[in-house]
Amino acid sequence: MKVSLFITCLSDAIYPRVGEAMVRLLARYGVQVEFPKTQTCCGQPAFNSGYWEEARESARTLLAAFEDSDFVISPSGSCTGMIQHYYPKLFEKDPIMIEKAMQLQEKTYEFTQFLVQVLGVKDVGAVFPHKVTYHPSCHGSRLLGIKEEPLTLMENVKGMELIPLPFAEDCCGFGGTFAVKMSEISAAMVSEKAQHVLESEAEVLVGLDMGCMMNISGNLMYQGKPIRVMHLAELLYEGVKQA
Amino acid sequence: MADQELTLLEQLEKESRAKQAKFIGGIAEKLGRKDIAQKPQHPFRGAPDFWNQLNWTQEEKIERFMDNWQSVGGHAARFQTMEEAKQFIVDRANEFGARHMIRQNQPELNELGLEEALPETDIRVWNSDPEEYWKAHAAGADIGVAVVDHAIAYTGTITVLSSPDKGRSVTLLPTVMMAIIPVERLKTRMGEVMEKIDGMRREDLPAGIHFITGPSRSSDIENDLTIGVHGPGIVYALIVG
Amino acid sequence: MSHGQQASTVKERSHIALNNEFLRKAVKFTTERLRNGKKKATEEHGNWEEWRERGRQIRLHTIAHLDYYLNQFVENARANGVHVHFAADGKEAVELSMKIAASKQTRSVVKSKSMVSEELHINAALEKMGIEAVETDLGEYIIQLAGETPSHIIIPAIHKNRYQIAELLSKEAGETLPADTSILAGFVRRKLREKFLDAEIGMTGCNFAIAETGSMVLFENEGNARMVSTVPKTQITLMGMERIIPTFADLEVMATLLPRSATGQKLTVYMSAISGPKRDADADGPEEMHIIIVDNGRSLQLGDPEFQELLNCIRCGACLNACPVYRHIGGHAYGGTYSGPIGAVLTPALQSNVAEWDDIANASSLCGACYEACPVKIPLHDMLVYLRNRKVEKGYGQTAEKIGMKGFAAIMSNSKRMRSVIKMGQIGQKLVARQGMIKTKIGPLKGWNSVRYLPSLPNQSFRERWGTLEQEVQASNPKMSDEVRQRMEQALEQRKNGGRHHG
Repeated sequence: MKVSLFITCLSDAIYPRVGEAMVRLLARYGVQVEFPKTQTCCGQPAFNSGYWEEARESARTLLAAFEDSDFVISPSGSCTGMIQHYYPKLFEKDPIMIEKAMQLQEKTYEFTQFLVQVLGVKDVGAVFPHKVTYHPSCHGSRLLGIKEEPLTLMENVKGMELIPLPFAEDCCGFGGTFAVKMSEISAAMVSEKAQHVLESEAEVLVGLDMGCMMNISGNLMYQGKPIRVMHLAELLYEGVKQA
Repeated sequence: MADQELTLLEQLEKESRAKQAKFIGGIAEKLGRKDIAQKPQHPFRGAPDFWNQLNWTQEEKIERFMDNWQSVGGHAARFQTMEEAKQFIVDRANEFGARHMIRQNQPELNELGLEEALPETDIRVWNSDPEEYWKAHAAGADIGVAVVDHAIAYTGTITVLSSPDKGRSVTLLPTVMMAIIPVERLKTRMGEVMEKIDGMRREDLPAGIHFITGPSRSSDIENDLTIGVHGPGIVYALIVG
Repeated sequence: MSHGQQASTVKERSHIALNNEFLRKAVKFTTERLRNGKKKATEEHGNWEEWRERGRQIRLHTIAHLDYYLNQFVENARANGVHVHFAADGKEAVELSMKIAASKQTRSVVKSKSMVSEELHINAALEKMGIEAVETDLGEYIIQLAGETPSHIIIPAIHKNRYQIAELLSKEAGETLPADTSILAGFVRRKLREKFLDAEIGMTGCNFAIAETGSMVLFENEGNARMVSTVPKTQITLMGMERIIPTFADLEVMATLLPRSATGQKLTVYMSAISGPKRDADADGPEEMHIIIVDNGRSLQLGDPEFQELLNCIRCGACLNACPVYRHIGGHAYGGTYSGPIGAVLTPALQSNVAEWDDIANASSLCGACYEACPVKIPLHDMLVYLRNRKVEKGYGQTAEKIGMKGFAAIMSNSKRMRSVIKMGQIGQKLVARQGMIKTKIGPLKGWNSVRYLPSLPNQSFRERWGTLEQEVQASNPKMSDEVRQRMEQALEQRKNGGRHHG
């Protein structure tokens, strides 16, 4: 069975450590991930801005890269959501590509979805003796319905204190190009989100989408607050190493 | 009605009928039809099936109705007989020093004898003389009294239907509203009332069907709850039986 | 137009709003209150998803057969004695209202809250004829005195504090009123009682219209809509043509969804179904009743697969209360009659003017909170993307953005180019990156870095790291357990037999 990693452009360029944690964690279950190098980006920045032709050009690289894969796994609820929710729409007028889009839709999983739903893993055997708070990113939790999976995984981490994040389900204000186009509104949103993270008094903020994490951590750094921001895959892998 | 108005209404009526075909035909066209649709199948009518199974016992209905009515700021009381309810109304009227009251022209109220029990109070019977200006009487009343047509336990709601003998103003314009609920008219769900209304012939429908759930309220000023903005601020639900 | 609308773009208007500390606090407080109320009410009621789905089905069905149901409504309303009129646009609706008003030789009209009448700017037209139009909903009355427009569908004066309100009402009273809610509300009650008794005409909106009986239904808490439809001799109802539901049984579903979603109430204090003018022997209710059925851009959504569901909207305001953008900028920043996520889609949709209006479609992070909150499940977050797409396809994209997106496509259509771009970034950032961060505020980083730092690129991207990583993992010689293998095979099997269910 061919399990492929869809790294996402953001993790590829800025957070390779997230991809590495995923690959190493999955290897512990005997899942050998492969990485098709012709993949680029899911196309969401262009799609959300209304530039669908440009989005298609980007999306085609994924359709080609993962054509032979049985499972495609990604560290982003948002990019997975793009494939799941919008690829069929994006290619609705192209009878050949829509077929491929629907195939990719079927086999793409967000990381925790794959771990919990497919592999049936609920406890990775991690130890992480810290106070942690969790931001459920909008696209993962709302579009894909990923609510229970990360909580199940986190509840089973030993030594970890999971602190509820006030107004957790509120958007952090990232929204891709929104953060640039409507920077002032986005700034108000991320400042409030960071405030809630600080109120939780957690040492670590964890999430399933590095776009949101980059946004919130960027503001925390700007404020000079030493809160560690990580992807759940990183936290789990670090915890497994410590165990 | 002045002649000029009649002409205008006739003219508007003519225009309306002329426009109707185009307006609704345009909708049909947008929906991809040449002609207006025939009566469609209506597969999802009303509440989900599981909901229609909900039926409380009478005691449960009474308890839930009173809880709900009180939770929005209404007063509720329960009586075995109309005589007890009457005494309650009389006591409140005396307590408030009510000078003007208005009540619906309903047989239950006609038999109640409020007038004899409150000789000092001017009690008007809705529309008992068609020559009078009844809206003003209702506006001037301290207390309005009505027997409800239905009540709904799940939401704490009373339903009143208008008629020549039952003014819409009686439950709206006075400062205090007293609503008598004969216990057999208390239903569990709103759907039970809707079923009755749907079952009526259109021509038998009253002009006004009002569902009332507590005292008039507003939160428009700084989210600060205000009671009695336009409608009655003090409302009593008196369950009898 | 009024307050906050002088600025021409949503960006400028939100800048004004974001610098208004009171406004932001008030909007946050109110939307949180309403949102918590909704949460509590829906949890208590239970089976909320089933109810939402039922509500959606009823609305979908009605709109899909709107020709039939609207026609049925019209025939039944006429049979009830209502004068029914049709208005293709706002201008026609205003003209019809003016003709009726002129024939009554009235000096004043009392109005209950109606978003349609806001769409039509009917108050201004009445004033022009020398007829006083009095808003009677407490919040609407306040903003009318202030000469403003509503900033929230449910709480129109959300942006005013009690001192501002006391000042406005004192002017009206001719004496200084203290900033005490109950005293202020008491003044309005007395003042408006006079207006109700004076007015020849009452003007209402319409929450729902029941096809089978020709009834119009109003939801409200204050009792002013009942006053408007009980006291004056003539009632004029402005009704959006999509307000229809088939039966009273369906009204139970709407009555379950609307108040809970709007304010968390089990039911609004008053829900009134009015079926025509007063019966001959009745002693109250209007003698003459008009219903003006308004299109005003609604039919543009019919038959449009991407936007037809907009007509399902029941105007509860839940999407405003859930929206993190609305929470920060309030209603006026949207610049139209309808604000929040529904306004961001509905305003351009009703105007059919993509170029001029779609700018508010950008005021969303596409987080989907609106969809989650919507009691009839309108996919507003999708519609926002469709709107942006239409703008681009019609050639209204901004030049800089167009060039940017062309660049995006050029890079992302080819992994080698993407790789070189990352490489260039890794080298280029050396000028600005310090300790893993980029703090500069020049160029495109200005907006981002005004409240954040950007992480710098690590020396190796994932794709550069992959070769070594793959070798390391293979060297550890991972073994798959039978259970894991079986589960994965099972997942593949399931996919063949009809697919997996996505969230």
